[in-house]
Amino acid sequence: MLKFIVRRIFWTIPVLLVVIFLTFMMMRQIGGNPFRHSERAVPEAVQRNLEAKFHVNDPWWKQYAYYVKGVFTLDFGPSLVLRGQTVNDIIKEHFPKSIELGLYAFLFAIVVGVPLGVIAALKHNTAVDYGAMFFSNVFHAIPSFLVATLMIYWIALKLGAVPTSGWATWEHKLLPSIALGFAPMALFARLVRGTMLETLQQDYVRTARAKGLRYRRVVGLHVLRNSLIPVITAAGPLLGFIITGSFVIELIFNIPGIGQYYVTAVNARDYSVVMGLTVLLSVLIIFANLVVDILYGILDPRTRDART
Amino acid sequence: MRTKSIWLWLALLMSSVALVAAGCGGDDEEGTSGTTTTEGGAEAAEQVITVNWGTEPPSLDPGLASDVTSANILLNIMDPLVKLDEDLNAVPNAAESFETSEDGKTVTFTLRDDLKWTNGDPVTAEDFEYSWKRTVSPELGADYAYQFYGIVGAQDYNSCDPKKDDCAALRDKMGVNAVDDKTLEVKLTTPQPWFLQQVAHHSFLAVNKKAIDQFGDKWTEPANIITNGPFKLESWQHNSRIDLVKDPNWRDAGSVKLTRVNGRMISDGITAVQAFEAGEVDVLYQGLPPDEISRLKETPEYEQYPALGTYYYGVNVKNITDVKQRRAMALAIPRQSIIDNIAQQDQLPATGFTPKGMPGFDAINPDSPWLPGEGDMEQAKQLMSEVASPKKNITLYINDSPGHREIAVAVQAAWKELGISSTIKQQEFQQYLEFLGPPPNKDVDIYRLGWIGDFVDAINFLELWTCDSGNNSTNYCNEDFDALIEKARSTEDNDARYDIYGQAEDILFGENGDMPVLPIYFYTYGDLERESVKESFEVNLLNQTDLTKVVVTE
Amino acid sequence: MATTPTDIREEGLAVEPGAAPSSGAPIRQSNLWKDAWRRYVRNKGAVVAGTVFVLVVLYCVFWPIISPYDANEVNFAEAKQDPSLAHPFGTDKFGRDLFTRTAEGGRVSILIGFGATLAILLIGVVYGSISGFVGGRLDNGMMRFLDALYGLPYLPFAIITLAIIGRTDKWTMMIALSIASWFTTARIVRGQVITLKENDYVRAAKAVGARWYRILSRHLLPNTLGVLIIAIFLELPAVILGEAFLSFIGLGISPPDASWGAMAQEGRTTYRTHPIEIVVPSVAIATLVLCANFIADGLRDALDPRTRES
Repeated sequence: MLKFIVRRIFWTIPVLLVVIFLTFMMMRQIGGNPFRHSERAVPEAVQRNLEAKFHVNDPWWKQYAYYVKGVFTLDFGPSLVLRGQTVNDIIKEHFPKSIELGLYAFLFAIVVGVPLGVIAALKHNTAVDYGAMFFSNVFHAIPSFLVATLMIYWIALKLGAVPTSGWATWEHKLLPSIALGFAPMALFARLVRGTMLETLQQDYVRTARAKGLRYRRVVGLHVLRNSLIPVITAAGPLLGFIITGSFVIELIFNIPGIGQYYVTAVNARDYSVVMGLTVLLSVLIIFANLVVDILYGILDPRTRDART
Repeated sequence: MRTKSIWLWLALLMSSVALVAAGCGGDDEEGTSGTTTTEGGAEAAEQVITVNWGTEPPSLDPGLASDVTSANILLNIMDPLVKLDEDLNAVPNAAESFETSEDGKTVTFTLRDDLKWTNGDPVTAEDFEYSWKRTVSPELGADYAYQFYGIVGAQDYNSCDPKKDDCAALRDKMGVNAVDDKTLEVKLTTPQPWFLQQVAHHSFLAVNKKAIDQFGDKWTEPANIITNGPFKLESWQHNSRIDLVKDPNWRDAGSVKLTRVNGRMISDGITAVQAFEAGEVDVLYQGLPPDEISRLKETPEYEQYPALGTYYYGVNVKNITDVKQRRAMALAIPRQSIIDNIAQQDQLPATGFTPKGMPGFDAINPDSPWLPGEGDMEQAKQLMSEVASPKKNITLYINDSPGHREIAVAVQAAWKELGISSTIKQQEFQQYLEFLGPPPNKDVDIYRLGWIGDFVDAINFLELWTCDSGNNSTNYCNEDFDALIEKARSTEDNDARYDIYGQAEDILFGENGDMPVLPIYFYTYGDLERESVKESFEVNLLNQTDLTKVVVTE
Repeated sequence: MATTPTDIREEGLAVEPGAAPSSGAPIRQSNLWKDAWRRYVRNKGAVVAGTVFVLVVLYCVFWPIISPYDANEVNFAEAKQDPSLAHPFGTDKFGRDLFTRTAEGGRVSILIGFGATLAILLIGVVYGSISGFVGGRLDNGMMRFLDALYGLPYLPFAIITLAIIGRTDKWTMMIALSIASWFTTARIVRGQVITLKENDYVRAAKAVGARWYRILSRHLLPNTLGVLIIAIFLELPAVILGEAFLSFIGLGISPPDASWGAMAQEGRTTYRTHPIEIVVPSVAIATLVLCANFIADGLRDALDPRTRES
């Protein structure tokens, strides 16, 4: 088991290098002048000096070397556009908020989605089942920007129950987390229900029930545990979804996370920020995949041996 | 779910979502909810307001700040030498007096005695000399360095190449000198009558050398910053809040009523409006979403101000070479209709380039026959038919902020009637700026831009169209025009100068106008202000707001 | 290298260890598909979804042709109207008929959806089949590389891609959306190829000396086809939603053309006075996504080797 974990972790390093390289190469392809922010042109001399200051004109391999060194010493460089802030500053200030948002969304998805799926499975083919599935299918399909817009309008504005935007108190955090978490919640509900239904049909479960073991124990231990497997499996790519969704949610709710900032940075050609954030997101995904793989290995012993 | 009822559910899905969503919204008469009512007059006990600053300012360093948010914050946390009064004339502020020499080329400022930094040090003329030279220094890369080019030696210093020239020597040669602690002497290249008004701009503010030496790039963080104005920067959470608090030690603190200004940074227009309506923000003054304007105008919180700015389409005269085609295109644009249906803020259709509100407007404005308010499709078509080899497929470049698309679509439709097929190319801002050059991109036939005045003289607008202006992407170069502009720089007498401007505008837009530019309208600012501050909150032509004058009423 | 599915979408498609693998026999097409069709049709939900899907596509393709309105014609006098007989969805803020515009937008969204999905499939199939078929060190290397690519966050890369290309039209959107989404398909295909490779029929063919491309085309790919079809309907929603998101943050199709995502973004600003402008495209997106999900479920049941009987 330990060997497995160590091996997986070891492999993340070359992965990271590839990611950095790809991001770096791609960023270089984008034209544009990070030093021009308004419709007024930048005087030549000034442009020249700024480019020198930020190493923008060095040969690509030199820039790449600087950059890799920077990443491994955790120094992502200064922002080209927000003078006076470094990428590290930006990450420190904005990243935790995005993580928080993602976490709360995920929590909401689990806390509401899993029980929903369980109940639907237990009450298979009844109105409860149909209702739950209808509800979750719909919310999986509706784009979150509509959900968010509706929620802000009805709950924040009309009802005045929570603030319309921002990210300070728990009231601020409620709506965005739910809006972002709706689709994953629906997904979890469907998955859990599906797996539970299957497991409930399995021979060993029927045998257990026939033998008279208490129903709840049977469900609780075996069925539930197996049903959580798809949740974990889905958690990996779900992370991607949450990151994607957060860009939009952060925009609508004015949450100062990196999602909102990412688009701004690409648009402003703030190369260092874009690279820094992309690398960061990649690390996050890699890490999440790692955790998922490990958890999967723990939960389903079959997979451990199947590893090549 | 695999039962017959699936289609029942599908139908339910469709209808319920549609009903729910469609049934809501639609507040036509509803006013904005707020937390205060107005009765005018009596001051509220709590003098605190929340504003929306808009987008995150890239920097609060006066040398680097180039956007409206930072400009407004800076002008309230620092003390400019002069301020602009209602007629936009320069009046003493941190300078207790100023004097221009006979030949108009030397301006001397005398500072007040009671100017202090927040760290206790007095503000001296040396501070100003240091700051102005710093802004012009090549290493800082200041956007607004060009504002100082009217000062002797400034342009040379700014263009200094550290590898070739002796920058330190050029720095010393720059015409800003602190004669003593209280006297600042400025030498100009030509007599520039507008120089004093220019000094009200935030790039002319003083910065504290100690703070910069100690903290470097981070000197603008709230913990480090040293200011000298009526308010202090209390907190800056990036992309989230900037809060100001009154400085009780400021020289004129007694006249400042507000104790605190909380600031949100909401860049999305819809979100901002919702925040206002929920009572979370008291003032929204960085632009309202165009689609909401018709609804918001009916609310008592709406306030409109004239602005010194022009919205225009530039023409690449190397691509659209026939002046008759340019004139026809100008004639075809339905300005008033665009204003009424899209922009919706009572803007004024542009009849020239220099906007209304500029002193001397009546003399300057050419009332161009090619820029009728309603557009003149008949004449346009006729003129178009006279064009020998018209360019029928053109590219129309815009950037992607709200409102520009709609206007472009309307113009596109208008030009279609002339037989011109325009492809709208929308780009996000940076891409866009790069495209425009200089040097101008040959793919661009028409491009959209706006110009907001930096200071209150028409030259700020007209000098855009000189041959080597960095902001001229039209390839237009007319020596007579350039000559007039040069002449204006040295013409001190206002009326004489306005006359010259009028001639310049004629060259561009008169009967025989070259039409390198198709102005569309003169800007206005539309705000939402809660009734408790509506009376005292003002925005001037340059989009500046003076928080020392704001009072919250009961 | 994990052979277990780490993607929920793979879950339904991977062959479970111990289950009977699909036979590698050269498929006699008629039996397989007829069989699948029968099973599919028994599933009412999938049938309804399939019908609705087809109807929506037909509407988007044909309505603009027969519509009396031009989707791009500006007419301020008729702006922001409510639904009526003349305008079943009303008009938007430019006075354009929303019913027609939604159809036109649908064309674009569906085109981008299918285009990106096919691109994903193409890249995935090529990559996966090479890796699975050749096996050995190349396979290992390719899968490691794929692992690395898994670390690429999809939306940021789409954004960067669009910024590089500099334009946003249908084709660039397809590229941007597919560039970071083909990894799972590659894995699935590889998984299938590996399983099938060891199969008796395939080994027999190899022993007899059949060329690799023949083996691929007659044995491996037809068996994979079912899986691929399912994959299409699983990727499609993701791509459509992806396009909607990109449009929503402003990176969508340039005017006056529209996609549903772009229409939703435009509609958001008039939400307070004329909410239908954002509701219609959002519901359209939701409908398509919902249908695609049900179709995928139905197809999976119809084609799943586990339940298909031996």
